[in-house]
Amino acid sequence: MSASSGTSETEALVVPRAKRRGPGGLRQRRAGNVKFGHWWWALPGVLLVLAIHYGATSIGSFFAFTDWTGIGSFEFIGLDNFRAIFTDSGYLLALGNTLLIAILSVVGSNIGGLALAVALNRLLKTRYALRVVFFMPVVLSPLATAYIWRFIFEYNGPINVFLESVGLGEFARPWLADPTYAIWTVLLVVVWQTTGFAMVIYMAGLAGVQPETEEAAALDGAGLWQRFWHVTLPGIRPAVAIATTLGLVQGLRVFDQILALTGGGPAGATETLATQVYKEAFSLGNFGFGAALALLLTVIILIFAVIQQRITAGKED
Amino acid sequence: MSPHRSLRRRALLAVPAVGVLALAGCSGSDDSGSGGSDSFSLMYSASNTLESPFETLANEYMETHEGVTIDLEAVPNDTYGDTLRTQLQAGNAPDVFQTEGGSGQTRSVIPLAEAGFLAPLGDGAAELVPESADSFFNIDGTTYAQPLVMNFSGLILNQTALDELGVSEFPADWDEFADLCAEARDDGRTALLVGAAAAPNAGMTAMNIAATRVYAETPDWNEQRAAGEVTFADSQGWADTFQTIIDLNDEGCMQDGAVGAGFDVLTNGLATGQGLGFFAPGATATELSQAAPDAELQIRAFPPASASDPALGILSPTYSLSINAKVEHTDAAEAFFAWLAEPEQANRFAEISGGLPVTGLEDYDLDTGTYAPVADLIRNDEVTPLPNSGWTNPAVYEALASGVQGLLSGQETVDSALASLDAAWDR
Repeated sequence: MSASSGTSETEALVVPRAKRRGPGGLRQRRAGNVKFGHWWWALPGVLLVLAIHYGATSIGSFFAFTDWTGIGSFEFIGLDNFRAIFTDSGYLLALGNTLLIAILSVVGSNIGGLALAVALNRLLKTRYALRVVFFMPVVLSPLATAYIWRFIFEYNGPINVFLESVGLGEFARPWLADPTYAIWTVLLVVVWQTTGFAMVIYMAGLAGVQPETEEAAALDGAGLWQRFWHVTLPGIRPAVAIATTLGLVQGLRVFDQILALTGGGPAGATETLATQVYKEAFSLGNFGFGAALALLLTVIILIFAVIQQRITAGKED
Repeated sequence: MSPHRSLRRRALLAVPAVGVLALAGCSGSDDSGSGGSDSFSLMYSASNTLESPFETLANEYMETHEGVTIDLEAVPNDTYGDTLRTQLQAGNAPDVFQTEGGSGQTRSVIPLAEAGFLAPLGDGAAELVPESADSFFNIDGTTYAQPLVMNFSGLILNQTALDELGVSEFPADWDEFADLCAEARDDGRTALLVGAAAAPNAGMTAMNIAATRVYAETPDWNEQRAAGEVTFADSQGWADTFQTIIDLNDEGCMQDGAVGAGFDVLTNGLATGQGLGFFAPGATATELSQAAPDAELQIRAFPPASASDPALGILSPTYSLSINAKVEHTDAAEAFFAWLAEPEQANRFAEISGGLPVTGLEDYDLDTGTYAPVADLIRNDEVTPLPNSGWTNPAVYEALASGVQGLLSGQETVDSALASLDAAWDR
């Protein structure tokens, strides 16, 4: 689908009429034609979205301003929950971790995905099999693979055993319980799982880049990197927009991997807003406080999504 | 023209029709099991490996009492508390459900009773509550849950491995324990297995040490803390507890990588004899015996700092049942509770779950089997309930487990760990 096509299909089918029909809008003359676009077709879906998405979320947001424990009565406490979040170093660390994982996982998975997409775009005979292999982590359950990664990173697990066997024993450490390295280990697992998704999006984008343009650039003497930067990359801008938006929203919500790998530890070093929401609201019975954390996370995701849209809307040709 | 209009009319009719169908589908789930007056529903948390004592005893009750139907519902242990609270809040909780004494968990009795979800129970249940655990089940003299079994928490030891090491007498104080650690290390094992990344084990380790360091001298420390008379930060006992954890690590008592170990390291290490023991509830010994039949497992209390200090074990009621406050006719459930309170059933429950009977403990044979090393402690009532049962909210136990891992990883000091406990208490 090319963004710059001239006429659309629907345009071509509209026939001029003598008079208007009514508030229903344009209608086909030919009988038996299936009609699309009436507002009441969308009504059930709209109602569901309003009720489940917006209604339920609003009710949850209301509890962010209370001290509800999840059972019994509650009191309205205003902004106390938010004050607690921004004055406690533990929650600020969780906020920082949330942004760190989100931004770095987007950068990592997009660079990796783009590299893979370019490498597997043409030429290689085995590229179809390789594409499947690289996409496989995306469809696997994050929780199940995280448990396997946890075994791999265990103190007596394969990685440390390998390091010791090649004489790098001093680098062996409890990866998931090390205050410095735990978050990077989690990031590695998240990037591993999401790179395939970015790869697929970029492959779709690259399919729209004409090989003739690249060949022309090569004939003009452009090097590999110059061809990529000046020819390929501008052609896949929509794919970059989609991949980074999706990656960012997903990255801000990472939960399964952290809970399975470190449980938020050691001593809160890998906590994010998502894991804190679960812990506060359900494990510790501070539903109101958990709702406040969730509201904060929602606002952050909203801000990033809006920024994303603004940047990429400006870049459209 | 007319086909369009009739189509539009049909479409307009479709919307409310779909709406009615949707609402019909959304009607509340039918009441669980409150059909006849002799039937009720029972929800419990599912054990991983063992048969559930709830299921076994409920089936026995149905066989011996005609006309009674108990609808059993098993919920995975991890999500049991959340499921229970959600159902109670929504109003579709079962008639009878498993709870836990104290305030420290999402399934705990006191918060649920304060929120008005539990029906008051009679004397039959009140008599089973030991005096030391009074505040875990009662509010203002009314009992809200019936305990079903007693749980002794301590150091589960692989006695076979100890014998292989040539240890004839178990350490009686800290110095002897440190020697044991060195002996074990020389033999390529470790005296202790700790899973600091598994919050329940980290917390259990700390509580077992705190039993002798804090509660031996001050049995009512929790009450004093609740009254604001003491804090974690100014408690020498708690400071000693955290220091002991650091010392255990420094003396090589814990296995390498303990800071990041999970439950699998504990069970594998004990079964293979790589580690001599780990802290756990007594029922775990029964579970592990099935997994590792060659190893003889026994439970012991962690020794005090010096031999002159009193030794103390941890014994508290666990697994309790409560009745939903919304149930109108509680006769059937109360009859079941009375049947469970009889010594024969108490022994059966203890036998199946691997714990100790909640009634008739004096007549119970403690001198053979898992609990032999701590038989005297139990008989002489040199025990204290699980410390966290008497804590105000689950965040304190969470801070304890996190503090243990922080001490081992170097992120926390004794003082910062104590401060985080106080901060969690005051939330």
